[in-house]
Amino acid sequence: MDKYSLFVPNFLPFKEYFVPEKNIACAGCGLALAIRQTYKALESDIEKAEWVTSGEGKLFSKLFDKSPVGNSEPSLLKIKKTGAELLICFDNEAGGSLDDAVKKAMPAIAVAEGFHYVATACPSYPFDLYEKVKKGMESTGKAYIHILCPCPVAWQFDPELTVKVGRWAVESRAFPLYEVGSASAYNLTVTTAKPRPLADYLKPQYRFAEISEQQIASLNAAVENDYKKLADKIQPA
Amino acid sequence: MVECSLLDKELGRPFKPGARREATPEWDKDKCVRCGLCYVYCPDGAIYRTEDGFFEADTDICKGCGICHRECWFGVISMVKED
Repeated sequence: MDKYSLFVPNFLPFKEYFVPEKNIACAGCGLALAIRQTYKALESDIEKAEWVTSGEGKLFSKLFDKSPVGNSEPSLLKIKKTGAELLICFDNEAGGSLDDAVKKAMPAIAVAEGFHYVATACPSYPFDLYEKVKKGMESTGKAYIHILCPCPVAWQFDPELTVKVGRWAVESRAFPLYEVGSASAYNLTVTTAKPRPLADYLKPQYRFAEISEQQIASLNAAVENDYKKLADKIQPA
Repeated sequence: MVECSLLDKELGRPFKPGARREATPEWDKDKCVRCGLCYVYCPDGAIYRTEDGFFEADTDICKGCGICHRECWFGVISMVKED
């Protein structure tokens, strides 16, 4: 450490709450990475965390008083805090078939349901995720965080690329990272001045092996439309 | 009661996360700047810091996914295949 003062883990607590000996995840699991980073942010509150066991698609109806959406049942972590609770959704997009490829906008539903703090995060941006979980614990009311976890098995890419694929998802604006504070104040936490082509994100994933140029173009239009809607909500301070 | 073959002590063995690894990460200590990015991005928590400030992977836990090899800015980590 004499030559360089740069030391990345200084920005994160060094203590591990994750138990690596019991980790039965596949190699390069994005979910395991997200859980490890989330546990670091929770620190002493970790005993209040509880995994929600979902059954038969009733998860969302139970939590949001709405009818169930699709077949997908992502893992959900519930942390009790004073007066309310923090919900963290670990989304690996594994429940979707090609028919229901359009994802339900869970953060938008959470904003409409009156959550006080809503955010999206990705383990490729660990410090961003860390700050969002901290903010979620500090906010007064209910909070919801949606974490995109690249899954090498379901998305069919090389396990080396887990962090890269998450980063490409953010850079191509397919999964913008933003947070919604109190009074619906939108805030982009990772800005992309020049978006990466969407094909860069889809290409390494073998689940999109049979996708055509036309489909990529239509997906790109949908992504740009969503991003425009989001950008309109962000009011210059 | 049905007897389970896994309960036989010769067949059943304790779970080791790193038992089926294909390749092991190795650090080139001449190039390493000890920034700790590999430690932050390891999904299994296998990478730990040694006393001299360098990083190493616990071979019982590491699954050889290669994320550290990809994420290292300086190309320090190489994945060495085992026979």
